[in-house]
Order: sequence, then structure tokens, then C-alpha cells
Amino acid sequence: MDADLDRLAERVDAARTATEARGETFYEGPSRSQLAMFPPKERWDDWVELDSKAWPKRVEKRFMLVPTTCFNCESACGLLAYVDKDTLQVRKFEGNPESPGSRGRNCAKGPAVHNQITDPDRILHPMKRVGERGAGGWERIGWDEALDELALRIRRAIEDERQNEVMYHVGRPGEDGFTERVLAAWGVDGHNSHTNVCSSGGRTGFQFWTGIDRPSPDHANARTILLISSHLETGHYFNPHAQRIIEAKHNGAKLIVMDVRLSNTATHATEWVAPYPGSEPAILLSIARELIVNGEYDRDYVRRWWNWKQYLTEQHPDRPATFETFEEVLRDLYADYTFAYASQESGVSEAQIRAVHAAVAEAGNRLAVHSWRSAAAGNEGGWQVSRTLFLLSALMGAIAVPGGTYPNAWNKFVARPIHLPHHPAAWNELTYPLEYPIAQNELSFLLPHFVEEGRGLIDVYFTRVYNPVWTNPDGFSWIEMLTDHKKVGLHVALTPTWNETAYFADLVLPMGLSSERHDITSYEQYDAQWLSFRQPVLRAARERLGETITDTRQVNPGEVWEENEFWIDLSWRIDPDGSLGIRQYFESKAEPGTKLGVDEYYGWMFEHSVPGLKEKAAEEGLTALEYMRRYGSYEIRRGIGPLHETPVPAEEHATDRRVDEYGRVYSRDPEPPKENFAPTGAPDPDHEGRRAVGVEVDGEVLRGFPTPSGLLEFYSRTLVDWGWGEHAIPTYIKSHIHPEHLEAGQVPLISTFRLVTQIHTRSANSKWLDELSHTNPLWIHPVQAADVGVVTGDLVRVETELGHFVVKAWVTEGIRPGVVACSHHMGRWRLTGHEQAHRLNTTTVALHNDGSKWSMSPEQSHGAFESSDPDTSRIWWTDVGVHQNMTFGVHPDPVSGMHCWHQAVRVVKAQEGDRAGDIFVDTDRSRAVYRQWLEKTRSATVVSPNGERRPRWLIRPLKPTSDAFRIGGPVGRRTDDAPVSG
Amino acid sequence: MSRTGLLRALADLAARPHAGSAAVAEALELPRPPTAGEHADLFDFQVYPYASVHLGAEGMLGGDARDRVAGFLRALDVTPPPEPDHLVVLLHAYADLTDLAASGAPRADHARRVLLHEHLGSWVGRFLARVVELGADPLRTWAHLTVRALADELAVCGPPPGPPAALRDAEPLPEPEDATAADWTQGLLTPVRSGLVLARADLARAAHELGLGTRVGERAFVLRALLDQDARAVLGWLAREAVRQADDLGPVAATGGEPTARWWRERLGHTATMIDRRLGAGAGPSGAESGAESGAEEDR
Repeated sequence: MDADLDRLAERVDAARTATEARGETFYEGPSRSQLAMFPPKERWDDWVELDSKAWPKRVEKRFMLVPTTCFNCESACGLLAYVDKDTLQVRKFEGNPESPGSRGRNCAKGPAVHNQITDPDRILHPMKRVGERGAGGWERIGWDEALDELALRIRRAIEDERQNEVMYHVGRPGEDGFTERVLAAWGVDGHNSHTNVCSSGGRTGFQFWTGIDRPSPDHANARTILLISSHLETGHYFNPHAQRIIEAKHNGAKLIVMDVRLSNTATHATEWVAPYPGSEPAILLSIARELIVNGEYDRDYVRRWWNWKQYLTEQHPDRPATFETFEEVLRDLYADYTFAYASQESGVSEAQIRAVHAAVAEAGNRLAVHSWRSAAAGNEGGWQVSRTLFLLSALMGAIAVPGGTYPNAWNKFVARPIHLPHHPAAWNELTYPLEYPIAQNELSFLLPHFVEEGRGLIDVYFTRVYNPVWTNPDGFSWIEMLTDHKKVGLHVALTPTWNETAYFADLVLPMGLSSERHDITSYEQYDAQWLSFRQPVLRAARERLGETITDTRQVNPGEVWEENEFWIDLSWRIDPDGSLGIRQYFESKAEPGTKLGVDEYYGWMFEHSVPGLKEKAAEEGLTALEYMRRYGSYEIRRGIGPLHETPVPAEEHATDRRVDEYGRVYSRDPEPPKENFAPTGAPDPDHEGRRAVGVEVDGEVLRGFPTPSGLLEFYSRTLVDWGWGEHAIPTYIKSHIHPEHLEAGQVPLISTFRLVTQIHTRSANSKWLDELSHTNPLWIHPVQAADVGVVTGDLVRVETELGHFVVKAWVTEGIRPGVVACSHHMGRWRLTGHEQAHRLNTTTVALHNDGSKWSMSPEQSHGAFESSDPDTSRIWWTDVGVHQNMTFGVHPDPVSGMHCWHQAVRVVKAQEGDRAGDIFVDTDRSRAVYRQWLEKTRSATVVSPNGERRPRWLIRPLKPTSDAFRIGGPVGRRTDDAPVSG
Repeated sequence: MSRTGLLRALADLAARPHAGSAAVAEALELPRPPTAGEHADLFDFQVYPYASVHLGAEGMLGGDARDRVAGFLRALDVTPPPEPDHLVVLLHAYADLTDLAASGAPRADHARRVLLHEHLGSWVGRFLARVVELGADPLRTWAHLTVRALADELAVCGPPPGPPAALRDAEPLPEPEDATAADWTQGLLTPVRSGLVLARADLARAAHELGLGTRVGERAFVLRALLDQDARAVLGWLAREAVRQADDLGPVAATGGEPTARWWRERLGHTATMIDRRLGAGAGPSGAESGAESGAEEDR
């Protein structure tokens, strides 16, 4: 034996022991052993590949590889643009191995960015309407003209103190806070997100538990993964989550998917559970009950971290406030949720529910859970889906531990920007109306009805990467609003491509795609914090070649701009002399009085606000900005762990400290400098103005959760105080499509699911994605199809409460019997006679209107066409689906504000003359449905405990001043129909 | 004295460098850790730390050679990772089995011998010999150390009774007349068929020594381009290279035992003899005689 090797072995063992004693990893095991699939970053300046188009000849192409971030969904996966060094054109996109979330991998939507930047129909110049709105007449104008018109109008609104008549309605933000700060700088409470047609139901359930409205499941390390719907894992965070779910499966994890459809994710599941839609909380509560009854939960975790004491004290004041008492009460609370009851409600067998329970129980605290859209977005009371799901995590102590679920703000990093403007002084009642005081997000999809009711007007309306006419329910009401100049003074569509909403705009301003704009992004995809940089890749490429680029339009196609520079320029034009106090937020710090540029904006942020980035860059002799331009991503830290367990330093609660009866610790010590601006709840100070600094647990002051109690809120005092006490603990609310609420012959229609290779409006301009997925038939089980008398390919009429749509049937056992489903991703259209339109994957339609009655009929099916891209002449498919959302009434959940997407419909055979894609709607019915759901609400004017419009601690993108929170406080708009001054 | 920590540390340096590589390298008394560039240059572009590349019938990643390793791991109730035949995985698996054997787990000692003889010793000596020749300093030292560590393991486990199954079953390089030019060229680049482990750097060296031009491309393309320019000279160089590599089988004998080394020696000898015979007959291989034909085949 080689004695020297023994000596070395001893050295290695000693080094390992010492390293691991510091909590670090000595060697990382075989998981990193895969052959590098990517060009080594040392060669990104000059990478050689053979030109595929020259095949079979071997023609070498030299590329510069420039990172950016995909903008197609929210995952923010890293892309590497292959910039041809001869032509300085982007030839393709592949994965960026430096991206910590996506790790060099992409779904189909990543490489398809190349289709989007070369889309023959993309908008290349600012366009101004000619003729009536929606008539299809456009003329090309210059950016100066567009900006001056906008600036004049916005300045006038601000000067008249009707600043909230300016509204920014955003679809996919794709960035972290830039535009919110623009609105704040203007003093405008005009942020209007799409979230209430998307995820606010899911968010609400999480927020009431943790004070943070998104979960971050650590799938890769889980023993059991429990997903309510496949949505996030097949369509949203598909790539970063899917790869980690598969890793977990390789390691033996169980995957449980609750979904009425056999989704892509469900095909990988250990258990595919297909419940009656809306019954998911009944199943989850039955599992919780079993865990409680069997004592399979983490007692110590529950004792330490739940606000059980507050619950007992306030709801059972006659009983001793001991943990043992709480456990007794807990057993009683859920006693009715037996497996038999859950089975009866859901139609899922008791045996399968037992199997799910067993998987949850055996996972211990390595239980990763997620719920986003689907059930939470489909049902009245859907927010209790995520609340009851998280109950399982909270019982198992599976929160912020490896393999568990983290609050997202701990796995996300939002950096402090160069300027931080104040929040606005007036409340926007069109986005946060009094009837929905605890809505998670803006009531965006009710806007046409609010305006119709005379609650306010919109003077300048920005739709930005958003297509409410197509995406929202009740699209004809949107058309009615957008075509009425008295309701919407100026509609500006900020969009890279034509869409159904842009057809009804006054100005269409072309914005850049994934590789043509600057943004920062950071998302919760594993237990770490990272930052990714989206950048105009040709700007970065030309700068590497020594050029100086001062305006992204210099490198983008046509006159396509990016939003950062657009908003800065517009803000300067609104306040050219600085007298409105706006310009200061868009000025250079290095050269005061001059316009802030994107290099300085991001350079400052990366140097000053991102821990460790400056030092990491210096190791390579780069500035922080140069590092991000070169690599695109930076992992700030990993292994964040349970931040709620972090002790609060004594100096933070030394001055005038007060501990309330439930352990909440308050102090007058100043808040330490904030490093991470990721959104969280903001617990109120105590009644004497002390700041909430932590929570006392077992005698130690810990950071806790950003909830009012500082604990996990099994019991939400907020819900009690704001009129919804019956839902204050995780419970089951029977959906609006519960069988008890259906009329004879009605079945639920599920419309919330995505297609893996498409993403709402934005991906339709990708020929590759369209070839993969281009239609949305009605999923129908064979039993039900036989009842209706249809086979695959037959047309059916789906009758909703507003009208009907006609669609092809797809008979499949991949859906639960008694339920039908149709993806919301398809059915794109363009208007007949419009020359400026989006032609890929759209049907040419005619709109007919007679009073409140609207119909849409296909005039020309999709097909091949001649364009600058020869591939468009090779389009072989004609069916691009139906725009079903048009026929849906608005269903705002009275608590979360989420649109409850599921529909009660009748499915019948198509009638003679029906054509696929036909739609009929009566907007009088739209208004009736709106009023019907409005009656479910409990207005702040009745329930507010303190005379304010909304609990202050809840997350809100912009937080108006105290005076604006007051009911009756300033609203920043005309309160009558007085004409605009000037 | 357990060596499994040492083996895992050696494995760590075959994977991509990470923040902790410096500590591992220091513990191993390497001059410094390899840089990411050195690692990529060697393991992504020159020699590949995979059993399948060295034992597979196509000389490429994956295939039956990888499945053999995966099957071996499955038989041990281990779910194979995505690349089960990577040296890192094999060294970790060997260390794990050694620990299990030490704890008295049934079958573990037998399993580790099988792993060492069949899945590591069958090829790793060839690979490590080329790393010693082509790698940057820290990787050369690492390769020497890995040979020493595995040699000691072989001393403990004993030599294999005969050549490993993957070698016994491997077809040799076909006679030139029986193959297309492309297949024959690919065979030369397939270690288990020709015995040669030819890296890009070797082909560049050949071009330099013979005064030929090097085309940029995959190895098969580079080799065919050399043959197109001067088939006889290149074939002569290949025959000499086979002899040269046969003289460097010490690491194979140390890590895989004499039967394994003998097999590689004979395979290299067979290749050298075949080429010499062809040259003695006054012609190159059928594919190498006509550069136009070779290129034409590529273009089809």
C-alpha cells in the first residue's frame, strides 16, 4: 500500500471535517458531472459553429454570445443570443448556463424568441389612429410626436389633480418595480395589473398565512410534491420547476397532481387526482384532519409558529389558552372533514385520498406544495384552495426547510434603485374600489363596468404587454369601453405586436422583445436569491466591439424602443423644468441636471444594491454592469433557510420595547437599512406608533413572518375585522359551480389551463410555437360525448350565461367525466379589412353589433400567406381555435377579488349554420352578471374597522399616503363629468 | 485507513470546478485547482471522462456502454443519474460501495470489485494516461494521483481474472475494404475498436509533424481532411501513434490489471499491423485513397 496516499487521505478527511463544521460543502458529489452542454464562457466573444443553413457544406460562422432573459413567461429563464459577427444579427437563442434558475435549459418558448424578433408582422414604428377607433386606419408617426402628445395630456391631468385618470394596465410585468416607481414619481396611483384574472386567488391564501403572497417550493429536495393543478409546472414556471421536479422524482420523490385534466405534469404523477372542480379544499382538509387525528403533524412547530393563542383567546375566550386546548379544538374544527365526506364532495375515491394522505404524512417536512391558478383561480372561494393547501405545510413544519415550501420573498431579490420616489397621495377607486377592501390585487377586469357606472373616467390609458379584450372575460364590454371616447380619452398600446386590444388604441408604440430591452428579474425557483438582467443584446454586442450606444433605438429593429428609456424620456417631457417634482427621479446622479441613462441606472444598482456582485465582477476585472452584460445573471446567495427563525438583534428592540399578549414585539428603534425590496406584507405599528420588529417565541425575539401577529396566521384577525370572520381559518367554501349551484343540464367548463408551448397573447407571433400548438378543442369525456352525441371533430355549442361559442369537440379520457375544458390560449383573431394586423395564428373575423347584442363570425380561416418570411407560405393548419373568454361574465370573488373563471355551461350539438369560432354575447347580460356578483361583497363603508379603505399591511404595488387610505380621502380624479381644463 | 474520502475528493476534481475546488485541491496537495477553462479545454474538447466514450462501439457518449453501467447501478437498487458512466459517478459509487463493504453490507464487497474491474479499470487507465499527456499541470498531477489511488484499490481487490466483458466483446477496426471511408475513420476514433485514444490535440500534432493543414471541425472531419491531403503519411503517423500509445499502458495495468493492459496492447498492435499491411501493399485504405470520395460522402 502507498503510505503517502494514507497521509493524503487523512488530509482530505480533516479538510472535509473542518469545511463541513463551518456549514459549507466540501465536495459536491456527482450531480455536477454532466458534460458541459454550452460554449465555455471564456469563448463567448468568439464562438465558432458551422452554419446550419449551409449544410452540407461546412461553412464556419463566428458568433458573439450575449446573454439576456426570456420575456415569454414569468420564469425569466436565461437566454444566450448568438450574434453573427459578420452581420451583427441574432441568429438563434439557446440557454444561458449562467442563469441559476433555468441552468441553461429552456422550454420551446426560449428559442422561439428568434421567431418573435423576426416576425414579419411586428410593429416597427409608432402608429397613430386614423379614423374611428377600431376601424383599422393607421399612420406612421415619429416618437417625438407621440411623446409630446402623451406628456401634454399627462401633465395637464397632474396639474388638475386628476392624476388618477392616468392608468397603466400591465399584463406580464417581466421586471421588478421600474414602472411602479415611474407612476410613483408622477404621483399617480394608476397601476392596474392583470393579477385578478390570473393568480390573486392563489396569492390570497398564501398571504393570509405568511404575509407573503407567493410560495417557493423546493421541489428538488422534496420527498412529496403536491400540486393543485399543473398550471405553474406546465405553463408558467414550467422550465425551472419542471427540471427540479424531475430531479426529485429521480431521487424517489412522490408527485401528486390534482387536476381535472390529465395534464403534462399529471402524466408524470405518482397520483393523478381528478376531483370535481372546487372540491380541492375538502380533500385537503380531510388530509389535514387525518394528520391531526393521528398526531402526524409537527407539534412543536405548530406550537412555536402558529397564532393559536390569539385564535383561542379571541374565538374561545372561555377556554384556557394552552396549546393542549388548541389541539383539542383543532380536532373538533375539522372533525367533519372525513375521507368519506371528501370523497363525496370530490368524486375521488377514499382509497386515493388515503394514498395522498400517506404520501403527505411520510414526507415529514420535505413536503413541497404549490397552487397558482386552476382551482384557486376558477372557483368562488378559490383562495381557500391555497390556504388549505398551505395548512398541510404548516402542520408538517414544511416551511422554509429543504424540500419544503418557502415564502417567495425569501427566495427573491429586488435591488434598491438609484431613486426611490414617494408613494401617491390619492387613492384610485377604479382599481381598489370600496366593495373589495381586502382584494389581493386591482379589480382590473371590472374596469368597463366601473366606468359604465360613472365611477370615473380614464384620460390616458396605457395597455402594456396586455390584451384585455382577448385575455379578460367579457371582452365585448371592453370593446364597448375602448370605443367610447368619453370613457377613455387616449388609449396607448405599448406592445411589440398587434393584438385585439391594440386594434382599439389611438397610439400603438412598439416595444422591444426579450433581446431588445433592459429589465431586472428575480424569481423564486429554489432556495436562493438571484438576479437576472435582460438587455438589448445588439447593444451589448456593439459595445463589446467598442461602439458607444446611447439609445436602444440605435440597435433595435425599425424604431422599436425599450420601456426604461421611454418612461425616462416621457417623464422629462411631462416635467421639463422639474417644477412638478417629477424630473428629479429621472436625473443622473453622476451629472445632476442631465437625463438618467440606462447604463447609470443599472450600473448604480449593481454596484450599490446587489451584495457581492461588485466583488465578483472585480475578480474578473469587470465592473458590476460589465459583469451582468457579459453573464446575464448573478446568484447572490443560496441556502436562505428559515428567515423567520432569525434572532432579532437586541439593538433593534431596545427603545421603548413593548410585547403584546401574543408575543408581537414592538420598538421605537429605527428600522435597519433595507437590502431586499421583494414585496412582503408590512405589519402595522402598534397603536402608539412603535414598529413591529419581531415576535417572541420560547423567550427569544425572532424575525417571524410579515403578518400582523408575526406568526403563521392560522387565524386571520384581518378577515374577522373586515367582515369575513366565517372564513378566518382555513376552510371549504362551496364554489359557484358546486353541483348544488348548477341548473339541470349544466356542467363546469374549465378554461384556466395553458398549453406548454404557448403563453397568452405574446407567443402567437412565433411560427414554431404556432405549429406545435394552434387550437383549443373542447375536452370532453367519452361518456359525456355520447350523451351529447358527438365524436372528436364534431362542432358543439357551449352555452354560457352571456351567450355561446362554437368549438370542435375532442373526446378524451384525459378529463374527469362531467367536466369539460378548453384552453384559454387560443382563438386569436384579427378584424376583416384591417391591413395592420397580426396574421400568424389568427382567424379573420367580422364583428356584428346591435345594441347590447354582439357576435363574432369567422370570415377567413387561418392559412398560408406571403411575407418576408418564406415559412409563412408553408403554414398547413387552418384551425386556430375559438375565443371563448368573450362569452364569460365577470365573477369577482368577494374576498380575494379574483375572477372565478370556471363557468357553468350547457354543451349541445352545434346548430345548422354554426361555424367553429362563432361567438354570441349580450352585454346586457354581462352587466346583470356583474351586478349579481357585486351583491356578494361587503363594502369597506360597512365593514371597515377603522374608517379606512383597506388593511394597510396587505401588499399593494403602490401604497398611497395615510390620508388617501381614509374612506372619503382624495381620489385624484374628476368626481363629476366636468370637462377637462385647457 | 479508509481511502474513500480521498477517492471522493479525486472525483470532485473531475467535475466542473466550483467554489470549494480550491480546498479540495489543497487537501490533495495539488499545485492549485484547475481553472474552469482548463477543465473545459481538457474534458469537453480533448478527452472525455466517460466509460461509454472508451468502451462504446461508436466511441461516443451513451449507448450500450452507458446502459451497462446504469444496469449495474440498478442492480444495486441505485437510480442511475443522467450520466451514470461519468468518472465522477463511478468514483463516488466505488467509494460508497467500499464504505458499505466496510460496514458489512452483503454483496457490497463483490459489487465494488465488479465496478473496479468492469466499469473503471477497463478504460480509466487509458483516459488518465492521456490526461497526463494533454492536461494542464493541476490535472496532470490529479491524474497521477488517481492512478496511484486506484492502483492501491486494485491491489486490495485483486486483478481481474481476464479482460473485462466490455473489451472481450468489442469488435476490432474493420479491414478498410469492408468499410466505408467514414466508418473506417470513425473506427480509428473509437478507442475500443482501434485501441487509440485520439484527441483533437493529437490530430493537430499529426498535422504539425507531417506539415499538413488542419481543418476546423469535429475529429472525424479533421482526420479525413488530413487523409485527403496525404493519406500515406497520415496512415504512417497513425501506425506509429498506435505503437506509441501501446508503450504507455502502465496506468492501464495499474488500474485495470495485466489482462486489461494486455487487451489494449493487442488491440493497438492489431491496428498498427493492419495499417502497416495496407501501406506495405502500396495503398491507403479505400476511403483514404480519394479525398474527393471522402468529401463526397460527407456531402451526400
